[in-house]
Amino acid sequence: MSCNCVVIVREVWDTRDLIGSILDEAGHIKPGALQTRFEPEDLNALEVALRIKDQQGGKITAIAVGAPRGVEVLRECLYRGADAAVQVDADASVLDDRALSVLLAAAVKKTDAPDLVLTGTSVVDGENAMLGAMLAAELAWDHVAWVDAVEAVAGGQAVVKRAIEMGYETVQTPLPSVISIGVALLEDDPRSPRPAKAMLKLKMKKTPIPVLTPAELGVADPAALVTTRVTRRESVPPRVIESRQVDPEDVAALKTMLNEVLKGK
Amino acid sequence: MAKIAVFAEIEDGAIHDICLQCMSKARALAGLDGRVVALAAGRGVSETAAKLFGYGADEVYAADHAALAGYISRPFRTLTAGWLVEQAPAAALFPATTLGLDLAASVAGVLSSAGVLYADDVRLAGDDRTARRIEFDRKVVTDYAAADGRMLIIALRDGAADAASFDAGRTGAVKAVSVAPDFVGAAKVLKRDVAKKTINLKGARVIVAGGAGVGSLENFSWIRDLASALGAEIGATRAVVDAGWLPADHQIGQTGATVKPDLYIACGISGAVQHRVGMQDSGKIIAINTDPNAPIFKIAHYRIVGDLKAVIPKLIQLLKS
Ligand SMILES: Cc1cc2nc3c(=O)[nH]c(=O)nc-3n(C[C@H](O)[C@H](O)[C@H](O)COP(=O)(O)OP(=O)(O)OC[C@H]3O[C@@H](n4cnc5c(N)ncnc54)[C@H](O)[C@@H]3O)c2cc1C
Ligand SMILES: Nc1ncnc2c1ncn2[C@@H]1O[C@H](COP(=O)(O)O)[C@@H](O)[C@H]1O
Repeated sequence: MSCNCVVIVREVWDTRDLIGSILDEAGHIKPGALQTRFEPEDLNALEVALRIKDQQGGKITAIAVGAPRGVEVLRECLYRGADAAVQVDADASVLDDRALSVLLAAAVKKTDAPDLVLTGTSVVDGENAMLGAMLAAELAWDHVAWVDAVEAVAGGQAVVKRAIEMGYETVQTPLPSVISIGVALLEDDPRSPRPAKAMLKLKMKKTPIPVLTPAELGVADPAALVTTRVTRRESVPPRVIESRQVDPEDVAALKTMLNEVLKGK
Repeated sequence: MAKIAVFAEIEDGAIHDICLQCMSKARALAGLDGRVVALAAGRGVSETAAKLFGYGADEVYAADHAALAGYISRPFRTLTAGWLVEQAPAAALFPATTLGLDLAASVAGVLSSAGVLYADDVRLAGDDRTARRIEFDRKVVTDYAAADGRMLIIALRDGAADAASFDAGRTGAVKAVSVAPDFVGAAKVLKRDVAKKTINLKGARVIVAGGAGVGSLENFSWIRDLASALGAEIGATRAVVDAGWLPADHQIGQTGATVKPDLYIACGISGAVQHRVGMQDSGKIIAINTDPNAPIFKIAHYRIVGDLKAVIPKLIQLLKS
């Protein structure tokens, strides 16, 4: 059975190893203070879709909200093996997950017969992690979050492995469903996402990416859908801790350290 | 006079620890004249749910149904959203567990409410319903307000409040919530593969934690020896749990336990933000790492640049002498 997948992809702020203040005086994020990158869990979601396609065929459509960053991640999806891409023409930076989920649900419905909609569970650090759940609610479909692997898609059902606090659950979910893929696969993991292919880059470089406007999706004003507004952002002063280097060769220094930390025990 | 709702996650007859934090936060937000209403859902949860009175609930509801034995989004979100519409609280608190995060987001979607996950605090003043989150690697604090006085739905981060204490004098009758959600063709949990909790990292005063830098399962004996010399519990990073060197209940961090011991010794741990959020409030932190630029050193009180295989034996010897 072939399986058609839609993958929702985002370009997000890269919050690894932040240095210095990222806010300006007015409490806004300074332009250029943060780099962006392809949301790693979305990349995993794309890889999961590509594996389903490798095994049983089907079509992969990548969808993102916004330009031009959205278009860049969409092109990256095409280079990695997605068959089609669709851009929703709205400014994602002024929308919340609720507004995005309404636009994306309408866009998914315009994609022919998807069996699975895949996305990443969390947005690094900002961690709102709500998009998949809200999208499923909007579509009135089932949703499984924190999925590490899609084990089988057959007989109108998908069987997936979901990470929970102390282990895993195997969950069977009917098609169509929304599946949110979990934490980044480690780099040396054999499951890690495949890179872009040079051959596809040449082929897809100029491929036009169709655009859907909010009006075409039945949404007059996407900003009116926003339910959560940022009202204040402030820098947290860096915590000053008394820190000192202890030479591992210096036994007396190690001893002093142990005495200090174990004082009163 | 606010009304606050709490979703109580109950597993194996126990109320989840973060739900007890939600209860104390809800009680503080509701004030003396406000009301705290709690909902539990699952199979056989009614009896445990009755304890929620003792933890500060004014009303307790339970959706007790065999079909709710495993967590699946659709029936849980339908039933919880329906209950919240009836209750119409100013805010609904969920625990930031894998279940609570998914349910909070799903319900916020169904109700078109304001949703904030991993919230550190909540403020309610009339129509101002705001959740606060410390984000971007603890560099920024952001306030998220519910637009147009909507219900605020939050998942409370572990450690954001003290757990409610139990008052055996507070009792009441649990009200049954009838379960007629859209089960037809819904997902189901086929299999659970969950480790039993064998250690209590949260209560530990001293933790010796190992990361990928420990190198192998055999090398973990260094960590064990140091821990036993200190009377400490053993913690780990996700990398260690993923490698199968330790079971999942040892994991510390965003998807593991949040701990605050007096002393935390990080051995061969790089200090990724997802690990740091679970241990950075420890009283004293000692880090042992071969890489002088490892991010863990930014939060360590004592920085030991060196090979743990050489450093740990010296520490053990000093402790024994
Ligand atoms: C959504 C999400 C959730 C996550 N949740 C968690 C979580 O809850 N907990 C968690 O821990 N991680 C979590 N992670 C993973 C996290 O990002 C890191 O990958 C992980 O913490 C790294 O573990 P580590 O420090 O053991 O390994 P590494 O990053 O590989 O670091 C190993 C360190 O050991 C040092 N080293 C090597 N050899 C030696 C030696 N002989 N002596 C001394 N030092 C040595 C190295 O210099 C290095 O700094 C999560 C990731 C994501 C995306
Ligand atoms: N579907 C999406 N397409 C494009 N950008 C998105 C999408 N979802 C979220 N974003 C952006 O990702 C960034 C981080 O989101 P958050 O952490 O939820 O605030 C913000 O700039 C969002 O606007």
